[in-house]
Amino acid sequence: MSKKPAAAPTLHKVIMVGSGGVGKSALTLQFMYDEFVEDYEPTKADSYRKKVVLDGEEVQIDILDTAGQEDYAAIRDNYFRSGEGFLCVFSITEPESFDATQEFREQILRVKNDENIPFLLVGNKSDLADKRRVPLEACRDRARAWAVPYVETSAKTRDNVDKAFLMLIREMSRQKLGLPPAPSPAPARRPRCAPPCCCLS
Amino acid sequence: MGPPPVVTGISPKEGPPGTRVTIRGEFLGTSAIDLIGLKICGCDCLLSAEWKSKNKIVARSGPCKGRGDIIVTTKSGGEGTSTVQFRGYHESIGPVKESAVWVEESIPPAMPWGRRPMSPVSYTPPDPLGLSTEGDDCKFPEEELHELFPDGSGKLSDENFQPGWYLLEHHSNTSYEDLKAGMVFLQRKVEGQKEGQLSFLKANTGAVMDQLDRLVLLKNMYEEDQRKNGKEPLPSLQAAIEDSISLADSLFSEILSRKENADKTREALSLLTRHKFLFQLPSSIDRNIRKKEYDLVVNDYTRVKNLFGNTDIKLFQKILAEIDKKIDDLKTRLYNRMKTMPINVQEQTNYIRLLISLNWEGDAAWTAITSRKDYLMSLMNKVKDHFKKKEDQENNEKGKRKVKESENEGSWSTTRMLWCGAACGALSTELNALWPLARRYFAGELGGQPSASERHDSLKEMIIAAVELFSEHMRACLLSGGGGGGGGGLPADAMRARLNANLRDLRETYDALLKLDLPSQPLSIVEKVIFDYRVYGMTVFLQRAHKRVKGLAEKETWKIEEFSDYGAITNLPHLLQTYVTEALSSIHKCVLISGRREGALLAEGSEPANAAQRHIQQILLAFVAALRQLALHHDGDQDFNNTSLSVALDQRLEESQDASRDTSSWQQRLLVAGANAQYTRRVILPAIAAAANQYGFPNPTQALQATKDSLISLESTIAETYLEHKGDPLVGTIEPSMYMGRHRTDADAAVDDARPYVYEIINNLIAVHAEVDSVCGAASSRYVRDICETVCEELARLAACAPPVCTRAAAVQARLEYTLLRRAAADHLTRKAENYLTEALATIPPLENEEDKKRMEELIAGFEKKMELQLASLNCNMETV
Repeated sequence: MSKKPAAAPTLHKVIMVGSGGVGKSALTLQFMYDEFVEDYEPTKADSYRKKVVLDGEEVQIDILDTAGQEDYAAIRDNYFRSGEGFLCVFSITEPESFDATQEFREQILRVKNDENIPFLLVGNKSDLADKRRVPLEACRDRARAWAVPYVETSAKTRDNVDKAFLMLIREMSRQKLGLPPAPSPAPARRPRCAPPCCCLS
Repeated sequence: MGPPPVVTGISPKEGPPGTRVTIRGEFLGTSAIDLIGLKICGCDCLLSAEWKSKNKIVARSGPCKGRGDIIVTTKSGGEGTSTVQFRGYHESIGPVKESAVWVEESIPPAMPWGRRPMSPVSYTPPDPLGLSTEGDDCKFPEEELHELFPDGSGKLSDENFQPGWYLLEHHSNTSYEDLKAGMVFLQRKVEGQKEGQLSFLKANTGAVMDQLDRLVLLKNMYEEDQRKNGKEPLPSLQAAIEDSISLADSLFSEILSRKENADKTREALSLLTRHKFLFQLPSSIDRNIRKKEYDLVVNDYTRVKNLFGNTDIKLFQKILAEIDKKIDDLKTRLYNRMKTMPINVQEQTNYIRLLISLNWEGDAAWTAITSRKDYLMSLMNKVKDHFKKKEDQENNEKGKRKVKESENEGSWSTTRMLWCGAACGALSTELNALWPLARRYFAGELGGQPSASERHDSLKEMIIAAVELFSEHMRACLLSGGGGGGGGGLPADAMRARLNANLRDLRETYDALLKLDLPSQPLSIVEKVIFDYRVYGMTVFLQRAHKRVKGLAEKETWKIEEFSDYGAITNLPHLLQTYVTEALSSIHKCVLISGRREGALLAEGSEPANAAQRHIQQILLAFVAALRQLALHHDGDQDFNNTSLSVALDQRLEESQDASRDTSSWQQRLLVAGANAQYTRRVILPAIAAAANQYGFPNPTQALQATKDSLISLESTIAETYLEHKGDPLVGTIEPSMYMGRHRTDADAAVDDARPYVYEIINNLIAVHAEVDSVCGAASSRYVRDICETVCEELARLAACAPPVCTRAAAVQARLEYTLLRRAAADHLTRKAENYLTEALATIPPLENEEDKKRMEELIAGFEKKMELQLASLNCNMETV
């Protein structure tokens, strides 16, 4: 942090995690540049930085788009160490990616050693509802179990993309401001989170 | 100046040199050319940059190490900034590791001259702790190291070396025990160094000794080398290199030369293929010439001239020369062929065009025209010679048998007709060909120098010469020979047919020439020929008529055809009319009608008109001559048959009378001829004039006038002759018969009747009257009158000569006789005759007494009564006239 000048807006470091091919880069690019990339090209590690206005305050968001493939699993620890918030993405058409979220969650918790690290479970590809193979209830159950919000997005239609990122950033800034860290888990979060979640489908 | 570019995204964010990087951001340039700079970690990557959109650039990272900004520079926005960074690192790559960089495996580890690129990165000092490094896989994030040690460095050789960095970088995962062991190792090492140089030498005695040995060995070897090769090692090296070069050369020279040959061959082959057209042209020209496809030859030639005309290549020039020679041959051949007659215009024109397109230096078309003209001339001469020869041959064949006839045929022979036709055909066809050719030539279609001034003149001369030759031949053919008499031996129909045929040929030619639009001069020549021929035809017809009229004399049969108002005539005048009319109608039919653009044959006052006039006059005069001959020439033994003249002087033999009865007697012929002449004069001549008018001839007044005059003179001649032959004997009989009956009358004898001679005179008069009347009819009075006059004259003479009348009776007698005569011939007496009679009466004393007078009247009445029949016969015709 000392590297950056103090005048600079608050920097929030977000890391995209999830299995290969679930749409991490697609979500990132959609958020960053309003662009949907059709062709699939496995990512190694991409870096994006953007200024956004959140609740009247200009903040800078640094997105580290990581590789989902197992080949790069060894270097994840290093990345995770610098992360301040995580978007854990899976594809609702691919149960394996949903299963993999468990491992990512564990790894993050191990590296960060913080139960309350800002974390968002994201079910992507909501536009492919007809190919859905991960039941909505299972997703919600898992999010409840982890005491994290759950959002379903579509990188293709930009559905809930901004919302997912902004939710995470809001959480992160709250934590940084020393506000009561993550509001009490499940019972407390549900009423607050329910309305945004209702748009899932 | 737009906003500066901002890079907000990098994918991937780190990688070895050559990594394909996707750079995202804003205002990254409006187009590919707007992008003028790209630096990744300070390395210029513009060369590999690929501008995708204003938000995206794809590039490859350069050979940078460490973290650095991505700076995009655009023309529109200037130098930009970056919110993200790229980290370049160098992987130690090996055969088993995937790499974007080619790993040279075959390079030996150490080349003698040490050209191996020694990258500073490759030198990694041994780990000071004596521990194995962890490799690149589990790296401690460099960024954090930078944050932890802002002014430090992880490199052992750096001044600002920070051991913590080093440890974190290389031994972040090393266990504490290992680190402690490493610490011990390091301490030992440091202590070893502390013991100083000696201890160092001690510790490394082996190595030092080894080095010294090596140095000595090296020195020895060096010295030996110097001894062996001299101080300069290079010459031997150079020699060796040169040797190797020459050896290599010798080794490869064969192959190289073979290759060179092969290359040359290939080149030659490709040349052949490329210029196949040129190389095959000579043979193709030959082939096309054989096939007579001259157009192809010309095209090929033009093409080859265009393509290779200015070539410098010897081979091509050689082939071109060959082609040129062929073309020259062809040109000569074409030229000769063009000149060679006969040839049709189309073909000739083709040849001319070909020659022109082959750049024939001469004036091909003009030559063609000239040769055509020459051909025409020679053709006409040939035609002439041919027919002349044929004619001669025929003449020789016929000559033995009937020389005359073939001569007579002359210009009307079949041969001549064929000649005429052939010549006409030749002229019209050749001019038909020549003239358009010339016209095209002068129109400039056929090249050459048609503008040359003398060309027009010479062409004109040529055509005129040709036409003149033609006309000369035609004159020779049609207008000569046959002695001008023309077609004596030929029936008129045949002659007319031939004339028509010839004329038609001529006119067709003339028409053809007219159609060609030839200049007027040659046309007028042909027209002149036609005109002359027409005149000739006319002359021939007239001459024919003339000849026939001349022959009329022999044709006279003296058969009296009819009695006209002018007396009995034979068919002679009608024959004349027929002949003349026939001739006129023939002329009218054949030659008088003018063809297209021909002059009128018989224009007023023109030569042919005069000739026609002359000829007609000749014909008519010939007729007169024939009549004259018929009338006045008679055989010696055939004299006037005067048997009827004098009963008393019966001198004729019965036999001669019988003989002359068969044919008509001469006096009859004389009279008939007279009648003919008159008839001709009065009837036939006007008829002929009418016919001439009808057939479009000018009125031959002059000829008619001359003929009329001539006929009148003939008539009078005839009349005189008749009188001479008839009157003389009659008059001669008066005196003897008067005296035979005692002219001297008795003085005492009573006068009771006239003496016989009176009766005789009357009888003779009656006879003459009868004869003349029988022949001449109404025209007889003239003859009778003349005779009466003669008789009266004679009586007057006799009365004057006789002795004066002394007796009364004699006086009465004489008076009676004269009165009677006067009475009898009263109607035929002219004034002159009356005078004669009065004169005769005057010599006689007048009657003195009444008795005598009475007696006289009685006698006259008796006479009238007695001679009533005779008187009537003498006068009856007079009444009828």
